[in-house]
Amino acid sequence: MRVTQNTTANLVTNNLQTIRKRTEELQQQASTGYKVTMASDDPVTAQQILHMKSLMASGDQYARNISNGIAWLTMSEGAMSELGNVITRAKELTVAMSSETNNDSSRQAAVNEFEELKAQVITLGNTQLNGKYIFGGFKNDTPPFDSSGNFLGTDDAISVEVDHGSFVQMNYSGGELIRGTGGGTDIIATLDNIIAALNSNDTSGVEAELSNLDDALGQVLATRTDLGARLTHLNSANTMIDNMNLSLTKITSDKQDADMIQVISDLSKQQTAYEAAVAAAAKISQISLLDYLS
Amino acid sequence: MSIQNILDIAKSSLIAQRLALEVTSENVTNVNTPGYSRQTTTLTTSITTMESGFAMGTGVKVSDIQRAYDDFLQSQLSKENTNSGFGSAVLSSMEQVEQLFNDLTTDGLGQAMQDFFDAWQDLTANPQGQPERQAVLSMGQQLVDQFQRINSYLNDVKTQANKSLEGLTSDINDMSGQIASLNEQIQQIEIQGGNANELRDQRDLVVRELSAEVGITYIENGDGTLSVSLTLGQPLVIGNQSATLSLEQDVTNSGFYKIMATSPGGTTAVDISTIVGGPDNTQGEMGGTLQVRDTLVNGFLSDLDELAYTLANEVNSIHETSYGLDGVTGRDFFTVPSAMDGYSGLGGISLAVTTTSEVAAADSDPLVNGTGNNNSATAIADIYDTVLSTSGGNMTLEGFFNSLVGKVGVAVQDATRRADQSDGILQQLDNLRESNSGVSLDEELANLVKYQKAYEGAAKLINVGTEMMDTILGLIN
Repeated sequence: MRVTQNTTANLVTNNLQTIRKRTEELQQQASTGYKVTMASDDPVTAQQILHMKSLMASGDQYARNISNGIAWLTMSEGAMSELGNVITRAKELTVAMSSETNNDSSRQAAVNEFEELKAQVITLGNTQLNGKYIFGGFKNDTPPFDSSGNFLGTDDAISVEVDHGSFVQMNYSGGELIRGTGGGTDIIATLDNIIAALNSNDTSGVEAELSNLDDALGQVLATRTDLGARLTHLNSANTMIDNMNLSLTKITSDKQDADMIQVISDLSKQQTAYEAAVAAAAKISQISLLDYLS
Repeated sequence: MSIQNILDIAKSSLIAQRLALEVTSENVTNVNTPGYSRQTTTLTTSITTMESGFAMGTGVKVSDIQRAYDDFLQSQLSKENTNSGFGSAVLSSMEQVEQLFNDLTTDGLGQAMQDFFDAWQDLTANPQGQPERQAVLSMGQQLVDQFQRINSYLNDVKTQANKSLEGLTSDINDMSGQIASLNEQIQQIEIQGGNANELRDQRDLVVRELSAEVGITYIENGDGTLSVSLTLGQPLVIGNQSATLSLEQDVTNSGFYKIMATSPGGTTAVDISTIVGGPDNTQGEMGGTLQVRDTLVNGFLSDLDELAYTLANEVNSIHETSYGLDGVTGRDFFTVPSAMDGYSGLGGISLAVTTTSEVAAADSDPLVNGTGNNNSATAIADIYDTVLSTSGGNMTLEGFFNSLVGKVGVAVQDATRRADQSDGILQQLDNLRESNSGVSLDEELANLVKYQKAYEGAAKLINVGTEMMDTILGLIN
């Protein structure tokens, strides 16, 4: 092949250009830390990265939903535990009032305390979180219980999504818990019955309500057990999201992040190649026949 | 033999060497002229005559001044220029498109979609909340903005491609005209004998440049003229006449240009839009530009439209059966699409709800059944994870968007590969051409010395002849 000055010049320009281009790619990887910055760098990987990013974002959203759910359930748990205490106290008092030895004034004192306990149950039924009545169902912006204990809320379930298609109900119906709608024990009615029996000095009537109080305590405990199960569900969902995000982060990093050691060593290789090419070009173009003609 | 013969032979040499020196100096001075082919002087002996019983030569003559030229290389270069022109036209547009879908490093449409559905998720936790409702509205607006931004940029790319046809056609007209006028000059010079080397070099260069813009075929006629036509037929240059391309607005193609051609020597313009870019618009910058304008970008636009259309319909179908905080039902969240085509653009997708209370999160009247109802918010938030039937198969909205990003990536990768490949081949061919036709200064300097010495020798001959003449004439005195 015949070689002219221009062939050499073109060769040098092209080689330098190639090295420059490669250097620039490496420099971009080094400065961004990513080996895939454009979809065209690797369309298949780019799609996978986008999908994983979206999975991670969904995970973050589910984590937020879960923390909302946990807040509701923890609040409900507190209220139910207090409700248990109230019923236990009512039971003690009922046992004490079941004996015939009580006089009028002690009965009156008991009636007052039962009235107090009823008011406490109503207050607990009207527990709020961030201005929402958590036992009110869908009607949760107004108190679900009026002063005489009538349930004004709904029995609807408020659910949050904790994973793709997996929902956890974060509320309990105050109607079911306190008024026993749907076949349970009506705590308010039981207290009302006791108060009525005490007022009419009907000791056996008072005693008859003891079993209802036992049922009520069982009802609250059963609900708390169910709540505990839901909390466990939420916590394990949370752990799962954390684990998934951790492994997703790792996979995404494997796919998207540049191997810095590799990049830096490649960069210095390109640097050396560039210097060599420039030096060689300078050497070749120094001499010509022109130098030897007088 | 006569002394006169010596002087004649010397004279022929002086003329021949001087001519060779001229050619050498032409080579030296054009060492960097684009398209120049080095020329060589072919020297042959003159006729022989019988003298004193011997066949004697009568000196030297220049039989030919030839340019180093390879017809095959020229046609290869033209063909590859066509590929390169196509590749770079497509690549530069696709790179612009890619920026719009770059969700890998910046937040784009994909993120906006995610944010929108996340806002609905937040609303499920607090269906009455003003901030949550406002977030749904803001994220919805942001989503609409992203759709419209990408749509308008994609249309810009099309408009830009259309606009570049103006420069392209005028370039093509210009170059066809140059070839026609070079045809005429070459024909006139070569009719008198000899080769119009420099003019042919110029014509070859223009042909190569023209082939980068449109796919062409050419054939050289017996009279030295070159007939050029588009690969799919339309003649561009015949003899000393060239075709004229012009642009007309095509009302059937959103007012974009259609390309008209008046054949060389003709008077009526015909529509050549379907053939000017080569088969399926794959040749030259023209083909690339038309493909970007009429095919590639439209593919992305229709996907974008489908995404916006599907998303809006899915959200609306739940939203319109749901209730706002004001107890009103039957509202759409996005404007109802009249057609899928163009829905992602201006006049297409936009928010149909304006106030926070119109955002419908409940599947029953909240004024009657409680404002804590989040069933519809949950259902709408769930659309993001729902596998829907799309033109690309059954996938989620996110999957559909990701596959659109993938499509753009593949298009850019494809264009890059094509452009890189034809650049590489062009470099090889250029090297071959340079090797074959390029001027080597070393070579020319050596020739310079060679012809100069020969010239000196011939001059010395005249000197000797003159002295011999003087000697003879001296005898007379």
